Amino acid sequence: MFAAENGLKGDPRLQAISNAIRVVPHFPKQGIMFQDITTLLLDHKAFKHTVDIFVERYKDMDISVVAGVEARGFMFGPSIALAIGAKFVPLRKPKKLPGEVIAEAYELEYGRDCLEMHVGAVEAGERAIVIDDLVATGGTLSAAIRLLERVGAQVVECGCVIGLREVKGQLRLNGKPLYILVEPREIDGC
Amino acid sequence: MHRALIFSSLNPIYSKLSTTTASPDSAVFPKRDGGWIGPPPVFRLQNYKRTLLPPLCSASDSVANQPKMASQDEQDPRISKISSAIRVIPNFPKPGIMFQDITTLLLDTKAFRDTIDLFVERYRGKDISVVAGIEARGFIFGPPIALAIGAKFVPMRKPNKLPGEVISEEYSLEYGTDIMEMHVGAVQAGERALIIDDLIATGGTLCAAIKLLERVGVHVVECACVIELPELKGRERLGDKPLFVLVSST
Repeated sequence: MFAAENGLKGDPRLQAISNAIRVVPHFPKQGIMFQDITTLLLDHKAFKHTVDIFVERYKDMDISVVAGVEARGFMFGPSIALAIGAKFVPLRKPKKLPGEVIAEAYELEYGRDCLEMHVGAVEAGERAIVIDDLVATGGTLSAAIRLLERVGAQVVECGCVIGLREVKGQLRLNGKPLYILVEPREIDGC
Repeated sequence: MHRALIFSSLNPIYSKLSTTTASPDSAVFPKRDGGWIGPPPVFRLQNYKRTLLPPLCSASDSVANQPKMASQDEQDPRISKISSAIRVIPNFPKPGIMFQDITTLLLDTKAFRDTIDLFVERYRGKDISVVAGIEARGFIFGPPIALAIGAKFVPMRKPNKLPGEVISEEYSLEYGTDIMEMHVGAVQAGERALIIDDLIATGGTLCAAIKLLERVGVHVVECACVIELPELKGRERLGDKPLFVLVSST
């Protein structure tokens, strides 16, 4: 669900966030209009609004785990976790996390990839959210949800700054609610 | 395994805490309730002294004019909890390396909060407009600090991750080289910057980040890490760039 349709209609912060995102055409390959959040991170006010909106939404939901997907999920997740008093759990590409991990494979456009989480980071029964910068097909987020559910955590919601059109109209991913701040930007005159 | 220390960039004299009695080969894992899995570390604290954080010069002070520490006999009480929350994984990523795992720190909400607070207290009000964080664990600590001090966050990334125009800096690894990239236009000449990473080892990565920022005319005020591995002499490799760390591990 998009924030503007769920309680934040007309919230000027959403426009500021959208305006701060840069579109880079044909990255990483021809035809892809890459939604670049690094420009959002350079706009201190807009970056703060982004974190604030998620914090306002999740602070009273009894969330004890914020899981962030490597690497751009790391840029948003920890600040949310700190503000709501939850732990931050990094979900990483293979072989990055030391010690014992569990792994979940997922499909890419061409081939497969894998997401790992530390054993013992999350306990059964904990309420968790998953944070990433953008949701496209939902493959990565689905893998994240599966990792958390495998250890008995309850995934309350997935929160993303940007949601691509493939997910518009999908209220849920793997049966989990999806909360998205803004739609992708278009390039002007492109 | 851990000695919790405050390092002054100018004054290397510090109060030593006695080391843990746990052997170097036993990994000690903090449990979330504050207890321990495995043999608990025993810190002999007869000589425990508290260390004041060394003052950070403001925009008007040059590095040469930084006052020497008036007394280094006080340590912030938050430091020992932060140190205890870091997990050591033996022989990762290869035999002989005692890996300092900060993910357990991120699970300890108070210790993670304290970690950020210690950096924010040091850098707030010092006219710092840029916090650069090194991929990927620098992305965990950098943004909360940037948000709290009103600075922008600039990710320093591995090659081909940043879209659009970048500048690149090659740096040495133990075997071979790697490349670090930063976006063109992310920072302006004359801005004052911090560089954040979870750990400094040889200092190679931090040096690459310093070079990238200096190439575009940014003044790197300080490098800040949660952990230092002093035997790898990263501090010396940074040369005249100050380094601030919370925990030193040998």
